[in-house]
Amino acid sequence: MSELLQLTGQHLLIVAIAVTIAIAAGVPLGTFAHRRRRLGGIALRITDVVQTIPSLAMFGFLIPLPLIGGIGARPAIVALVLYSLLPIVRSTLVGLDRVDANVREAATAMGMTDRQLLWGVELPLATPAIVAGIRIASVTAIGVATIAAAVGGGGLGTLIFRGVSMVDTRLILSGALPAALLAIAADLVLTQVERYFARRRGES
Amino acid sequence: MNRRTFCLLLSALCLLPSSCHREHRPITVGSKNFTESVILGELLAQKLEAAGCPVERRLNMGGTFVCDTAIRAGSIDAYVEYSGTALTAILKQPSTSDRARVDALVRDAYAKRGLVWSPPLGFNNTFAMIVRRADAQRHGMRTISDLAKVAATYRPGFGYEFTERPDGWPGLQRAYGLQFAHAPRTMDLGLTYKALAAGEVDLIAGNSTDGLIDSLGLIVLDDDKHFFPPYDAVVVQRTGLESRCSSALASLRNTIDDATMRRLNYEVDGKKRAVADVVRELKLR
Repeated sequence: MSELLQLTGQHLLIVAIAVTIAIAAGVPLGTFAHRRRRLGGIALRITDVVQTIPSLAMFGFLIPLPLIGGIGARPAIVALVLYSLLPIVRSTLVGLDRVDANVREAATAMGMTDRQLLWGVELPLATPAIVAGIRIASVTAIGVATIAAAVGGGGLGTLIFRGVSMVDTRLILSGALPAALLAIAADLVLTQVERYFARRRGES
Repeated sequence: MNRRTFCLLLSALCLLPSSCHREHRPITVGSKNFTESVILGELLAQKLEAAGCPVERRLNMGGTFVCDTAIRAGSIDAYVEYSGTALTAILKQPSTSDRARVDALVRDAYAKRGLVWSPPLGFNNTFAMIVRRADAQRHGMRTISDLAKVAATYRPGFGYEFTERPDGWPGLQRAYGLQFAHAPRTMDLGLTYKALAAGEVDLIAGNSTDGLIDSLGLIVLDDDKHFFPPYDAVVVQRTGLESRCSSALASLRNTIDDATMRRLNYEVDGKKRAVADVVRELKLR
């Protein structure tokens, strides 16, 4: 039981760090893609391609690399960040694209600078979409984080990998079920956050 | 279409089901999830096909326990197992280094489980405790007992199966009284060589016939206390296979020695060649 708690803690920590980094990189990248269509399009294609790299192949690349590679939690977090970028960048871009052209025009007519327009109008209006992207990224990351066990990164995947190698279904489930419950819990919580922002936008 | 061709076609159609019926269902060949096992699975498949037995390949399935469960359930009909693995990991018998005894014990036990334990293929693929050559020279290590010298600083990294098996890390640790300061990292078996070469771990458990040992500048420590049982590669098949298919598999007895297996593994792992090509070129002795 204490091992299960410890592994769950490791699991959540890996996901939390990875999603935080992915948000910090993904939202600016999505904003950039909104402003600079051509370059942004290339960045989006890259996040698409990254999504298709199998995790074991990704670890194969990462192990010999200094700083971001090696074994343990670090390469697992790097892989998770890369996998989480796509939904966050996409949803940021979609959220900004959906801002009503009239609203934008009105803001410019009021004499807002480009920067004020972005921070004061566009990003607040795009927030529900961005949160939706973060929700998808988090739920996916909780599932995908089980691969951390393939590079000695711990987490609930440890039980799954151990169970698979020993054909012990109970052991596999003891890792898979908590991971599934965590994913559902994260989905419920973040759906509420999403609704909160959507309501707030409606009021303002 | 005139009447004669029509009749001919019709009779051909009538013949089809009966000819299909005479054809036996394909023999499903399995393998574990590492290069050597995949090569051997492909070897069985090609040998069967040469004898006119249709084959379905289920290679790269998983570890030992996955393959054993599959063959007992009838999802696969044949795969290559290792005698020591069958003895300790599958049959859960105490380990012994007496080759003839292991073979006899396993053969009897398998017959009781409705499986045929064929004569060995001719090579022994034992667990290999592997370190970097440069480290071994610096610390003067040649045997597993010598690991005691570096136990304070070494970081071991093993696959999940080796970490769990009685003839793996738990038994080895007890037999040699090894206490490492760092607990072993468990990770995907296929990534351990990369991790050792990159200096992320210092000791891994591979297989003595692995093709990458020489090419990555690694060496195998000698099992000076003879902890590991013999791991002779053997074809396991379900009873009741068609006799020409069964004897095609039996004809592989004593055809591959240690050096040949190591070379085959290197062709695939080191030179990145396709398994099917490597097996096709193999001239059996």
